[in-house]
Amino acid sequence: MSFLDRFIDGWRRYRRPGYYEKFDYAWTMSIDLDRCTGCQACVTACQAENNTPIVGEKELAKGREMQWIRIERYWEGEYPNAKLKFIPMLCQQCDAAPCETVCPVSATYHNQDGLNAQVYNRCIGTRSCAVYCPYEVRYFNYNNHHWDSPLEQQLNPDVTVREKGVMEKCTFCVQRIRQAKDHAKDDGRRRVKDGEVQPACVQTCPSEALAFGDRNDPGSKVSQKLSDPRAYHVLDELNTLPSVVYLKKVDADAG
Amino acid sequence: MVLVALAGMVVGYWANAAFFPGTSPQQPIDFSHKVHAGDNEIPCQYCHVQARRSVSAGVPSVNKCMGCHLEVATDRPQVRLLTNYWESGEPVPWIKVHDLPDFVHFTHKRHVAAGIECQTCHGAVESMDVVSREAPVKMGLCLACHRENEVEHGTDCWTCHK
Repeated sequence: MSFLDRFIDGWRRYRRPGYYEKFDYAWTMSIDLDRCTGCQACVTACQAENNTPIVGEKELAKGREMQWIRIERYWEGEYPNAKLKFIPMLCQQCDAAPCETVCPVSATYHNQDGLNAQVYNRCIGTRSCAVYCPYEVRYFNYNNHHWDSPLEQQLNPDVTVREKGVMEKCTFCVQRIRQAKDHAKDDGRRRVKDGEVQPACVQTCPSEALAFGDRNDPGSKVSQKLSDPRAYHVLDELNTLPSVVYLKKVDADAG
Repeated sequence: MVLVALAGMVVGYWANAAFFPGTSPQQPIDFSHKVHAGDNEIPCQYCHVQARRSVSAGVPSVNKCMGCHLEVATDRPQVRLLTNYWESGEPVPWIKVHDLPDFVHFTHKRHVAAGIECQTCHGAVESMDVVSREAPVKMGLCLACHRENEVEHGTDCWTCHK
């Protein structure tokens, strides 16, 4: 094998999703934009589940808001015929994630389940990952946040309360995935069943626009959504191979 | 200069060990694991009943203690202290010795199910009058064991870090 062949082979392997041949589970979320009403229930659920602080008006004005999932609004047309479209935007758990390549301390990396992991106690807060993220879904703790009593009582003990100087982002509710695996082991099963694990946003979505599952399993709910002709990835041209698939909103008026 | 630095380190180490004894705190009752688990051979999970069922091993309730101590050794001063808690209906404010950082997810249930001895992480508690942190419960201990036993995805950060 010539040097060039080895180089190309190495490069291909490096570009392979997370350097894994195949993910153990390939967790995927599908978001049906036809069903999304922009009600922000997912945002609230995520905030409660993941101990995400509410930064307050002053910090928000500086652009330091923290929402692991946010609803982006797009207006189309002028007032009498104005249309509003929503896109829930969360960490896309890219299989070829730009943020992973820049972390100097490997605090963010790809794990065997196809998740883009963030290890808070390893993070030194260079914020390079947030710069590289094309989806702008990484949030930095500019301050130590506190919860006024009795709000601290509702903090989730399964999720770290992040401190100042740490980057954070959507984890696909890894604590729930971990718990589902734990239950599967208790039942003597090797695999988690489809529908057994749901992130907080998926669980709470009133119009069931969000679905979550393993795309390695051809029978899972999310696999069926993947073959939908409306399915697309956001910023697909960047080749980040996102694990979040959107189903396009069908516009009745469009030609 | 080097000597001053070295002396500073020695003094600092001594001060840390002498004034911040985090590993064997003064408990509200001088409970001896040696008497209970060692001399009387009470199994660990007789009192720590949640270890095989839950993430946390749990500290036994005063009720559990009084199950024996209504009858056993009722005249001892430390047992009297316990009886006071029992009569006032208060829990004993035990101080946690093996306290993991908040960013670590550790489940007792999984490890008990896998047949790991309590002593692997907690040291020979049955021979300690005052429990102290003897085994180095740090990431290295976890990883060494996970590697040795070839735990599935045992070295993935998100297996333990949350």
